[in-house]
Amino acid sequence: MNKILIVEDDFTIQAQLKTLLSGNGYEVFAVTDFSQTIQQIKAFVPHLVILDIKLPGNNGFEICSEIRTFSDIPIVFVTSSNTDMDELNSIMLGGDAFITKPYNTAILLAKIAALLKRAYSSPQAEFFAWNGVTLHLESSVIEYNGQKAELTKNELKILYYLFKNAGKICARNDIVDFLWDNQLYVDDNALSVNVARIRDKCNKIGLTDFVKTKHRQGYTL
Amino acid sequence: MSGKLYLKNQVPAILVNLMGMLALALFLFANGNQFQTVLFIFTVWFIILTTCLSVVYYARKRYLNQLLDMAEQLEERYLIPEIMTIPRKADEQVFYQIMKMAEKSMLEKIGAIQNERKEYKEYIEQWIHEVKTPITAMKLLCENNRSSFAREMLAELENINQYTEQALYYARSEHTEKDYSVRETDLCDVVHSAIADNKYLLRQSNMTITINVINNRVYTDDKWVRFILNQIIGNAIKYRAEQPALHFSAVKTNDGIVLSVSDNGIGIPQSDLPCIFEKGFTGRNGRIGRNSTGIGLYLCKRLCDKLGIGLAVHSENKGTAIMLSFQLNDFVTGVQG
Repeated sequence: MNKILIVEDDFTIQAQLKTLLSGNGYEVFAVTDFSQTIQQIKAFVPHLVILDIKLPGNNGFEICSEIRTFSDIPIVFVTSSNTDMDELNSIMLGGDAFITKPYNTAILLAKIAALLKRAYSSPQAEFFAWNGVTLHLESSVIEYNGQKAELTKNELKILYYLFKNAGKICARNDIVDFLWDNQLYVDDNALSVNVARIRDKCNKIGLTDFVKTKHRQGYTL
Repeated sequence: MSGKLYLKNQVPAILVNLMGMLALALFLFANGNQFQTVLFIFTVWFIILTTCLSVVYYARKRYLNQLLDMAEQLEERYLIPEIMTIPRKADEQVFYQIMKMAEKSMLEKIGAIQNERKEYKEYIEQWIHEVKTPITAMKLLCENNRSSFAREMLAELENINQYTEQALYYARSEHTEKDYSVRETDLCDVVHSAIADNKYLLRQSNMTITINVINNRVYTDDKWVRFILNQIIGNAIKYRAEQPALHFSAVKTNDGIVLSVSDNGIGIPQSDLPCIFEKGFTGRNGRIGRNSTGIGLYLCKRLCDKLGIGLAVHSENKGTAIMLSFQLNDFVTGVQG
């Protein structure tokens, strides 16, 4: 599991970031003693550091420079300031990303994932499997008993979300949120239409009652 | 300088001359001088007197008109004592001294007001910077605890954020030179970022979104364009109609790319169209029920002007379309080869 260290002095943001990141499968540690930041980084050995700029004691830039003297780990700057000067500084000092508050959590998570992939070349899941059904991400195909059906972008993303949360009930709003975060702007009606199409395609490959509707709650596999 | 008034002012001098003339006349007549002699003396005196008066009058008038012209052409009129020649007459020098005192007090006052303004602007920027922390905290809290309540909160947070961004850009709009950087930007990315910034508001209003912008690269400041698009999207949400729809498209033209954002909302009345970019203009729509600062489009126009982006609006009864024209000048394409 990838380890992320958070250096952020606002307590609420720190706690919520921890919740967000652990909910997305990361092991998270938040610095609380800002006079010992570097020591804590060395002790925790994270895969990635999230760094605020305005901090008590040494500011984010100084900390970044110091980290760079002993490590190349990805550093994501998060800050309220969005001046070009700050962005330039963060790049010059070796930061890998610069995200302004209030952050778009989808973008933050995506950037973290991208940086980790680049730095540690972890193998990406190429397919999901559930109950004998395989979802091929690269080729955008759903497969059952040797039969394949091609999926559109929307359909692939919807199924990706369902597979990722396989067995759990996925609220309609959450699915739509996920699609929007992936730049697919479907509304509630369009979601129903897409699910109907998915079911159609599933039926054609002999897969019946795969995507189930939980009345008033959402969909599930 | 009023000639009539000048003459009136000279009346004492003229009277003194006349009294002198009278006295001399009596004296000359008493000494047995002939009337012709006396008349001759007084004619000469009279001619000298009127010539002197006229010459002095015209010289004075010319000097004063020059001074008036100088004052008219000067933009900062309170600086006139710096530019004019120091007068040589004793009484004028006193007036000059007084003018210098007035100028000094004016400059001090202006300096004080400018400092006050600068401090206030810095405070506003600082405030905006600080308020982003609780906004971020609330946003994270809501996103970690999703529910319909949380979604409504998130929509309102987006509103708050838009207002703080507007305040930030307004505070900065006076000195925009210091804060923009032109670099290669993918219009597609900016459009998606702007939509993401208004995610919950758009969802809440059931906006249907269609995009026809593919990999269009222009040279501009992506943050500013994102702000401009946010204003446009905000307006589309505010002034929407039934079954609202928002459409983004980019079209290549001879010398650039035009990004169009069109909606099917209540539109802008023809009478308001010429004024929508004026500061503080809320128009008919802004006043009927919906709150409007009148600053959003004003800032858009200002920023577009600074970046060299053409800004055009089209609205006929229903729906509004806003077009941003980005130039792809020869220098840029030449460099790219």
